[in-house]
Amino acid sequence: MKENERRLQFQNIVEQHKGIFYRVARAYCENEDDRQDLVQEMMIQVWQSLHRYDNQFRISTWLYRISLNVAISFYRKNTRRDTKYSVPNEQMAEISEEEKTAKERQLSLLEQFICELKEIDRALMLLYLEDKSHAEIAEILGTSVSNVGTKIGRIKEKLKSRFSQLKP
Amino acid sequence: MNELELKQLWQTTSEKLEKTIAVNRINSEEISRLKIYHFISLMKPIKIFTLLAGIVWVGAGLIILSNLYLNSFSEMSKFFLFSASVQVGLTGLALFMYLYQLFTIYQVDITEPILRAQKKIASLKTSTLWVTRILCLQLPFWTTFWWTEMMLQEWNVLQWLLTAGITLAFSFAAIWLFLNIKSKNSDKKWFRLIFNGMEWAPLINAMALLDQLDEYNADIEPETRVRL
Repeated sequence: MKENERRLQFQNIVEQHKGIFYRVARAYCENEDDRQDLVQEMMIQVWQSLHRYDNQFRISTWLYRISLNVAISFYRKNTRRDTKYSVPNEQMAEISEEEKTAKERQLSLLEQFICELKEIDRALMLLYLEDKSHAEIAEILGTSVSNVGTKIGRIKEKLKSRFSQLKP
Repeated sequence: MNELELKQLWQTTSEKLEKTIAVNRINSEEISRLKIYHFISLMKPIKIFTLLAGIVWVGAGLIILSNLYLNSFSEMSKFFLFSASVQVGLTGLALFMYLYQLFTIYQVDITEPILRAQKKIASLKTSTLWVTRILCLQLPFWTTFWWTEMMLQEWNVLQWLLTAGITLAFSFAAIWLFLNIKSKNSDKKWFRLIFNGMEWAPLINAMALLDQLDEYNADIEPETRVRL
């Protein structure tokens, strides 16, 4: 692949799928500076791995693999399980006032729950919340579809129990 | 809150987050420069210092020992030469293993499925234990540097018992540590005492990750289990 084509392909991927990087970074880093570093590292890895991209995989599957591998490998030391996520105000800007408190509490609880999960379970939960099919999750993680189903079931049970403690 | 509401809650905030993201157009030159910077920044100053000190130690050791073997062999204490050679040899081996491991980790295919790639990375990180095990084997040779041929002729039994006792104790400690510094002993108190500092955090984290991966493997059919 020529350098210019490679650069163009890279820029298109980053522009179209930047959300994947940020969503993964959001799940693995609580600190904004760490998130920026992590996203930058993901982009570097995408650039370095462009020649390995295999058309048989969806681009999103390939990008999730890279971003999750980077997040788990390089940022384990920065994750602390006893910390709470703060929800940026701009995310709540379009939610009505009466809904705001309930939504904030739910989102905060959800993010706290994700933060407490172990790295691989966190990846699974993230992909589940992104509405990926069990088959695609299995392809990203490299496990069987039935195992994905079992693991998601267990995590959902824990999540259900956590949300049931939340007073209306 | 049901499944659908949960996903909607997550996705709504994700979409809003995405709208606020402005990614600068990054060109390949910038990315290449960042990559080099990143690899160096992965290594903390203490690691760089330790590596450089190790290279200087082994390099200087090799030069001095070669000179002694070639020019002063007959005059030198054979105990000193032997001890120093083993020391430098083991340090060189540990250094080579550490550098090889660093580069191998760096070259793991990050586009592989998560469980497979993480298994490789975590296994390579835990192989740092091999470096420590090899360095432990040096212990008894620190006690034999100063031995001389004169000791064999002039020393009494008590002096010999004391000296040999110290060397035997160090030999026992070295062999015991070499045999027991393994991942399976990571929950033991003595292990946690040795691998207590921040510099060991990546190793301890890698062991924890391997445990997680084993949990995943335990739940699935043998043919789909993650293998290196």
